Amino acid sequence: MLRYAVKRIMTGILSLFVLATVTFFLVRLIPGSPFMSGGVSQSVVEAIEEEYGLNEPLPVQYLSYMAGLLQGDLGISYQDPGTSVTEIIARAWPLTASLGTAALIVSLLAGTGLGILKVMSRKKAVGHMISAAGMAAAGIPGFAAAILLLLVFSVKLKLFPASGLYTLSSYVLPVISLSLYPTAVITRMMANALAAEMGKEYVLFARAKGLGRGRIVLTHALKNAFLPVLSYAGPAFAYLLTGSFVVESIFTIPGLGREFVDSISSRDYTLILGLTVFMGTVVILVNLAADLLAACLDPRIRRNFAGREG
Amino acid sequence: MGNTKGHLAGRNRYGAVCCAVLAVWIILAVCVPVFGPYSWSEQNARIQNLGPSFSHLFGTDRFGRDIFTRVWYGAGISLLVGMASALINGCIGVAVGAVSGYAGRAADMILMRAADIIASIPSMLYVILITLVMGAGVFSIILGLCVAGWIDMARIVRGEIIRLKNSDFALAARMEGIPSMRILFRHLLPNAAGPAAVNLIFLIPQAVFTEAFLSFLGVGIAAPAASLGTIIQEARSQMIVYPYQMICPLVVLCVMLLALNGIGTLVEERIAGVRCE
Amino acid sequence: MKGFNRQKEHVLDVQNLVVSYHSGITAVRGISFFVNPGEIVGIAGESGSGKSTAMLAVMGLLDGKGKVLSGEIAVRGCRPVPGQNTAMIFQDSLNCLNPTLTVGRQIAETVRNRRKCSRKEAYARAEELLDLVGIRSPKMRMKQYPFELSGGMRQRTVIAAALACEPDLIIADEPTTALDAAVQAQILLLLKRLVKETGTSLLFVSHDLGAVAALCGRVYIMYQGEIVEGGITEEVFRNPSAAYTRQLLKDAGAKTVPSGPADPDQVLLRAEGLTKVFDTREGIEEISFAIRRGEIFGLVGESGSGKTTLARLLCGILTPDRGEIFLDGELLNPRGRRKEQLKKIQMVFQDPYGSLNPRLTAGQALEEALKAAGVRDRFSRREKAEEMLCLTGLSREDARRFPSEFSGGQRQRIGIARALILEPELLICDEALSSLDVSVQEQILGLLLDIWKNKGLSCLFISHDMHMVRRISTGIGVMYRGWMVEKGSTGKVCSDPWHPYTKQLLDAVPEADPVKARRIKAPVSAEGTEVFPDDQGKEQSGCPFVSRCGYALDCCRTGVPGIYRFGDREVRCFLYSEEYSGKRGSGYRMTSQI
Repeated sequence: MLRYAVKRIMTGILSLFVLATVTFFLVRLIPGSPFMSGGVSQSVVEAIEEEYGLNEPLPVQYLSYMAGLLQGDLGISYQDPGTSVTEIIARAWPLTASLGTAALIVSLLAGTGLGILKVMSRKKAVGHMISAAGMAAAGIPGFAAAILLLLVFSVKLKLFPASGLYTLSSYVLPVISLSLYPTAVITRMMANALAAEMGKEYVLFARAKGLGRGRIVLTHALKNAFLPVLSYAGPAFAYLLTGSFVVESIFTIPGLGREFVDSISSRDYTLILGLTVFMGTVVILVNLAADLLAACLDPRIRRNFAGREG
Repeated sequence: MGNTKGHLAGRNRYGAVCCAVLAVWIILAVCVPVFGPYSWSEQNARIQNLGPSFSHLFGTDRFGRDIFTRVWYGAGISLLVGMASALINGCIGVAVGAVSGYAGRAADMILMRAADIIASIPSMLYVILITLVMGAGVFSIILGLCVAGWIDMARIVRGEIIRLKNSDFALAARMEGIPSMRILFRHLLPNAAGPAAVNLIFLIPQAVFTEAFLSFLGVGIAAPAASLGTIIQEARSQMIVYPYQMICPLVVLCVMLLALNGIGTLVEERIAGVRCE
Repeated sequence: MKGFNRQKEHVLDVQNLVVSYHSGITAVRGISFFVNPGEIVGIAGESGSGKSTAMLAVMGLLDGKGKVLSGEIAVRGCRPVPGQNTAMIFQDSLNCLNPTLTVGRQIAETVRNRRKCSRKEAYARAEELLDLVGIRSPKMRMKQYPFELSGGMRQRTVIAAALACEPDLIIADEPTTALDAAVQAQILLLLKRLVKETGTSLLFVSHDLGAVAALCGRVYIMYQGEIVEGGITEEVFRNPSAAYTRQLLKDAGAKTVPSGPADPDQVLLRAEGLTKVFDTREGIEEISFAIRRGEIFGLVGESGSGKTTLARLLCGILTPDRGEIFLDGELLNPRGRRKEQLKKIQMVFQDPYGSLNPRLTAGQALEEALKAAGVRDRFSRREKAEEMLCLTGLSREDARRFPSEFSGGQRQRIGIARALILEPELLICDEALSSLDVSVQEQILGLLLDIWKNKGLSCLFISHDMHMVRRISTGIGVMYRGWMVEKGSTGKVCSDPWHPYTKQLLDAVPEADPVKARRIKAPVSAEGTEVFPDDQGKEQSGCPFVSRCGYALDCCRTGVPGIYRFGDREVRCFLYSEEYSGKRGSGYRMTSQI
């Protein structure tokens, strides 16, 4: 277990390093300068570039950026001078995080519930309906769902607010459009895993021991079927983070995604760089946590590695 | 057997529908821009924002372009991006997976660690950065999609090859003195084809989806070229006044993705069924 | 039916049970049988005879698989209720237990389901049950997960869980099939003791006539969904009335004395001090032996003894850490053999399903080998492939069929054809018959012996089945945990075993003869307590067999015995060392020390 954890953490650190490096150079490769717009004279541009350290050779810039990164300093925004990237993140992150977490919880609960329902239901129609709904939810892109929801529920029916993230009801539409896809995936995974578990011999043996069907699902099959779902939670969170670009810009929520889209259109390189590094870090950490958690829940992994250490 | 047979027949019908839809979509995407009466890019100030009518099935946009023509042109671009990137990713993935699984040791170690690192970085960020660097366009989108798209395929093929490499029939082939390359190509890879094909089919809707998403964000296909995502994005500013301008391309996109996903799911089930037997 | 009177108080009474699969095929065609209190009844039959389906129908656990069309099932006059009056155990103990729950919890939940008692009482009862089934330090075992237990212990745990139901009847479906000979003997004896102690009845389902003979007072023989014969075990085995039973018994007890073209002087293959060490898998240590031209050499040992590793070293798939292999007196390069050396040794595998490439037709699979051997002409390749198929009892048309269209026995024939098509000099059969039914086993064995005689092959026959090896081999090697503990001519080794392990193997395997089978013995250690063959400390010095050995000396725990040679026999045991038996003169004749 310890060995596994160390290995995963090392991979995580290496990934972070590669992410920061590649992003840094990619951003420097983007053609055009952020300060060129609006007929600014060459000397002014040079002065600004000197102030931001952009006239230094690339390796020096890279080293100083990495040094800053280690101290948690992501630089200063180009378009919004005086505001550090860290401040922008601190402002936007809570919104994105609360949205993402809400969507993750909703999709885990709904997905698990629907998956169990699909397997346990004796009515065939229920299973077919869940399958069809899952297909639709997995096939329709999130931004399309978001637009349709916005058109129907906010513009036509005026049931929920169309923008911002202030009241509880304003969470409803963004969270639904974000969680549609992960819910469909989790439902499918849960149903498949549970059906596979229910076909295994230990379930037959448990029934031969006289345990009821509900009891078998709850105490035996569910835990085993939940392991693959848990390992999906990391990628799902990554999806929710990147998915929030669109949802935030459609529902005009000033979160990380909107900042990112804005920074792209305004060529705010430090902000692009900082946001990429930050989101990458979050995703890598979440994946790491999900993998370690899954390892902890599975006694086969837990004991195997513990055994080898001792 | 009665109910399973009925079930299978139902699945087959559903699969036929998915395939038919996809075929119609491809035909329309090729024919409408080529043989249609309107151009997908020519602007016409006299017929701005017309509603759907017999001459303009989906109406016109704010530049007076026929949306029906544009939508099918965009669908073609979307499909092109999806299929090309899926094909490239498929080839890279199969090659990397086969080498990694068959060679083992150092090659396996290096390739799989590299894949781990690439996979742990959210790929959407990459695609965005690459389109920024390379400039918006079909080529940069495909390149962006190919940075991380091959990893799943490589992992699947690697797993299959490792499983098959130690199977008795592979050992028998080695004992018969069959050369390694022939063992890999004739004995191992054909047996890994099923899962690889499923993955390949699912790569297409994924790529179409990502492309539409990026174009919607404004970093994908640049004007005047258009994909479904671009058309949806263009219609967004007027979506409350002229909702059909957005709904038409949305529906075309969703049906296309549903058909592709449906085909993938069915192939997956079919292969799983064969394996069980 | 043989004459025994029907008692009114049957524990289980099944009348005219008919079960069909959903596909419409009738799996069980109107069988009737009964079990008396405290009785062990056997149901014997080959795979596909419908035994398991019938048992699931009795338990009411068929659901997805099939439907009971008619028939009456009564347990003491009531409906059978799983977990209340009946319980069932299955073949594969690893799959029977939930991998992510502790053993203790899985037994305790059964106790609570039956008794409605507190959690604490249930755990205490579970501990008692584990003790009852002969698991030492049950408190510690309760906290372990199934994968941490050995196969034998897992099967004991499963039995404990079944006992927790306090059933009137336990149905055991092939409970010993997946186990090694010594463990199988232990489980059989355990079942016998439990029936005596708890008073429950046992319905024992098995394809293994030996196991049935060892355990059951009465037996039913099933064939194609029907009971063809039933009665007192001795009577059924002594004078079977059904033709099928006679065939089955003949196959199980057949004696084949090989009389082939063995050439005593010409050594075909010689291995010297072969050693291969793995971290986790079975390795082998210092193995030396020789196979003469035209000989069938048998290699016996339980799973994990390194038989397969040895086979793979010989045919060049694995590279030895130490040691040399000579073929025709020529040293084989361990790093890679020449093509013509490679093809001289071919192998027939255990699993007829995994050993054929599902994407190649039988003909293509055979032609692949010829292509690699450099036969360029397409026509002659095809001709040769079809010829080979005919030789192994298939037809020319079969060349165009895919492996999935063949039965297990037919696939094994294709496997043999593939191995023979390169005209090898040594054929290695690695458990080639183990996964087949008894009657198919006999057919394939007959085929192998025919080919062996006609082609003048040499053969290395690897099996866990001592009786099988005994029947057909001229020389024998017994392996245990990577050591070859005894080696010699088959006749001498089997009639007068020297190594304690060889003796155990011969004692533990029940023959299909009720009188002989009831004498089976399970391994007992020197202290007289029952031991767990597969539950030993991994890090131990000395002889690996010491914890199972009834003759263990002090030196066995600390020292490593050498290989002691006496004429054509070799044994690796301290009982035969000079330190133990004293200095010997040159004319000394060694005899068995056990």
